Amino acid sequence: MLSCILLVSIVVPFFGAFLLPVLGRVSRGLRPISALAFVLASLACSCLFIPSVLKGETVVFHMAFPLGLNLSLAADGLSVFMAITSALISAVIILYSFGYISHYENQNEYYTMVVLFLGSMMGLVFSSNLVFLYLFWEVTAVASWRLIGFFRERGFVQKADKAFLVTFLGALAMLLGFILLYRQTGSFDLSVVREYFQHAPFPGVVVVLVLAGIFSKSATLPFHTWLPDAGVAPSPVTALLHAAVLVKIGVYVFARLFVATFPLDVRWNEAVLIVAALSALVSAGAALRETDLKRIIAYSTISQIAFIFLGLASGTVVGLVGALLYILMHGLAKAGLFLCAGIVEQNTHTRDITKMGGLVKSMPWTAMAFLFCAVSVMGVPPFGGFFSKYMVIAGALGARPLAIVLVFLAGAVLTILYLLRAFNAVFMGEAPASPAKEGSPVMVGSVVFLGLLSLCGGVFIFYPSCFAQVAARQMMGAW
Amino acid sequence: MATLLILLPLAIIMVLNLPFKDAFKRAAPFLGGCFYLLQAALVVFHPAAFWDDIYNPLEAFFAFECSTDALSLVLFLSIAIVGFVAVLVGAHALKNPRQRFFLINLLLLATVGMNANVMVTDLFSTYVFLEVTAVASFILIAMMKGEGALEGAFKYIILSVIASVMMLLSLALLVLVTGQTSFEAVRAGLGASPESLFVKMAMILFVCGLFVKGGVVPFHAWVPDVYASAPSFVSVFLAGIVTKVSGVYILMRLLVSVFGFEASVQQVIMFVGALSIVVGALAALAQRDFKRMLAYSSISQVGYIVLALGCGTPLAVAGAAFHLFNHAVFKSLLFVNAQGVEERCGTTHMEMVSGLGSRMPVTGWTSVIALLSTAGVPPLAGFWSKLLIIMALLNASRYGYAAVALFSSVLTLAYFLSMQRRMFFGKPHKGMENIREAGPVIVGVEIILAGITVGAGLLYPLVLEYFILPVQRVVG
Repeated sequence: MLSCILLVSIVVPFFGAFLLPVLGRVSRGLRPISALAFVLASLACSCLFIPSVLKGETVVFHMAFPLGLNLSLAADGLSVFMAITSALISAVIILYSFGYISHYENQNEYYTMVVLFLGSMMGLVFSSNLVFLYLFWEVTAVASWRLIGFFRERGFVQKADKAFLVTFLGALAMLLGFILLYRQTGSFDLSVVREYFQHAPFPGVVVVLVLAGIFSKSATLPFHTWLPDAGVAPSPVTALLHAAVLVKIGVYVFARLFVATFPLDVRWNEAVLIVAALSALVSAGAALRETDLKRIIAYSTISQIAFIFLGLASGTVVGLVGALLYILMHGLAKAGLFLCAGIVEQNTHTRDITKMGGLVKSMPWTAMAFLFCAVSVMGVPPFGGFFSKYMVIAGALGARPLAIVLVFLAGAVLTILYLLRAFNAVFMGEAPASPAKEGSPVMVGSVVFLGLLSLCGGVFIFYPSCFAQVAARQMMGAW
Repeated sequence: MATLLILLPLAIIMVLNLPFKDAFKRAAPFLGGCFYLLQAALVVFHPAAFWDDIYNPLEAFFAFECSTDALSLVLFLSIAIVGFVAVLVGAHALKNPRQRFFLINLLLLATVGMNANVMVTDLFSTYVFLEVTAVASFILIAMMKGEGALEGAFKYIILSVIASVMMLLSLALLVLVTGQTSFEAVRAGLGASPESLFVKMAMILFVCGLFVKGGVVPFHAWVPDVYASAPSFVSVFLAGIVTKVSGVYILMRLLVSVFGFEASVQQVIMFVGALSIVVGALAALAQRDFKRMLAYSSISQVGYIVLALGCGTPLAVAGAAFHLFNHAVFKSLLFVNAQGVEERCGTTHMEMVSGLGSRMPVTGWTSVIALLSTAGVPPLAGFWSKLLIIMALLNASRYGYAAVALFSSVLTLAYFLSMQRRMFFGKPHKGMENIREAGPVIVGVEIILAGITVGAGLLYPLVLEYFILPVQRVVG
């Protein structure tokens, strides 16, 4: 029964996405509503797995196909946590799109691609077969290609192409790694691969290849430049892709493969951390220099992703729990920031923060939501971001070289600086000549909701952290 | 009974050319289309009575033998799909009933040659039917009598003749050594004198002839000129299937049934395949005309088939056959897209059109599906064939070639994304606002082909199990 629900949670959004243009032809209003319904259905399905996860069970679905290209799915703590996080944030983003996208062309394409994106995200987190992992990974790339180029300006499409090509190159490297694993173990199924490597050393070349894929997808140095460029997409898309879901794919696959399935040894983990630390510093520096609001937030994403790697590569339960919570908290807050940026952009017709100011008077709700999300990303208690950042650093302290942790701390300080700078420039100070008005109720409602979720995530940190602990223990169980 | 696939189109051509009224001749596209549908249905539903019955009415009159196996089935289906598409699109594009009539005759004639080539089991018949296909193709290219098309046809004739001479010479040498031309006898003869210089010469000549026919680097110079100058519906047929059967398939068959996979031959074939992949893709990046880009893309994709073939393991050959089938589908689709754009905009030059995605949504989206399948993006059919090829290469420890094959997909994606950006995925220029979607025939064909690509990708377990993996048994 539950294993069928696993399939449903993927199939509904994945194939439902292609029904949306048809439904849009029936009635314009039906299209966004059904898009939301598909995503909510997926969210509800994922929530059904909470009891079994808390009991420490893993729900599996398996169909054997030729050549080991099996359709096998599994819902364990990690995947259910990711699925709920992604579906929840996507649902809010689609709600926001009701207002944002309503006066643009190509809405069919928009909703189809967003829902397809979420569907493949669900597929990705539940896949326990490497080929299917790759398959869904690429579908998300295709969807984000169309979405980044949504406005169809020549330069925008070029940036969409860039994002697609960079992530495609990384994904191919990863695929090569997967096939090498297949060659050695005779299977693409993670359970079989895991069994095999309990008694055999894990090949280093595969680590490098898969890491190339992971870093390209999660926009880590040196593959990071596509992410700020992708800010030309509509704001809900940037929120979906670059904050909440897409960049987390890389992080998720790292957790799935290199923490839960075949743990990396210390040297590899430290190498990853050095790359991540550089990534955190460089991108935080870039965020300090940028004047384009969306690029600032995009660079901030690159920097925050590094913190998640810090937790995952720390090798401690505390660090892992922190990393999982980081995925949730950062997703909520960063989606909120991008969506606020979207409201600001639509009403001021610019993204340049030097040309804005004093918007707190005309957009009080947006300003409040932006502030809430920003302090959560900074890691100010009692917001959710504080707990995750604290646990990530606490987990790494002692387990990993102090120098690396200090670099991350510096990154955290920079985060506070650039976010305050952005908030100041946009919302405080003198108002520009042309007064801006507040966004539409559904858009403002969505960002306020995300801001409040960031706060509640901190106040009620007990619940998500309970779940994250179960998931982290389950992951460490494979050590 | 399978020889009916040779006799039936021949019979249709004969009947059509009997001195009946013109009204009857107008039914030519219909008859042609029905034949291809029948051929596809025979493969898909696979009636045992048809395929297993070895009764061969041709044997009574001519001395040649036929046989079919899993590999032939893949080819028959590809021929049927591409032929059907060419008939539909050609009949739609040609308004003059006489030209239409000629087109159908020529398509069927080329099909006679190809179907026979798929089945025959002796070298001389292979040569004869190659020529049948080639002659029909020359006329198809030159049919519209455009300046470029005549030039293209001329180039094709010259190079084809060179290839023929090489193959004929090779045949002569083989007969000298083995005394016979049937696959089995030649194979046995080669086994008896493996080190003979004649045999080596013969093999090299035949393989080079096939490389010319298949348009593989460094014998590719004719391909872009011909594909770009021929009418799009002819390019569908040529790129989709003719060069694949007369170049790649015969190479496949000869390696499997006659020459065997010898290490040095494998090395050469794999190198040529990898070279084609890279050179074709790099050249495609530089193109400004859609059809020329497709031609170079074809060279690059043939490279994948040849590379996999050179690898020689059962899985690799199955992957090669699958990629041949996929290429037939997606390349036909792209040429049909080109036909649609040419009809509406009068050009396929990529700088002269723009933003067609919003004007021609079906053409735009089906071209996206085709290009993603070409680049090997899952879950489309092209992904599975590339996956098979790369798995086979790695299993055979050909790491370098596997990496070349895999990472060239980035080049494939890059040139097609630049095509999309210029032609479809952008804002329309001035003067492009009034372009309408291509006609219903084009749209219908595009949807069918895109459906096959998506369907074969999603239903890959069935496709692999019943259609592709049996090809492994043909090898070894």
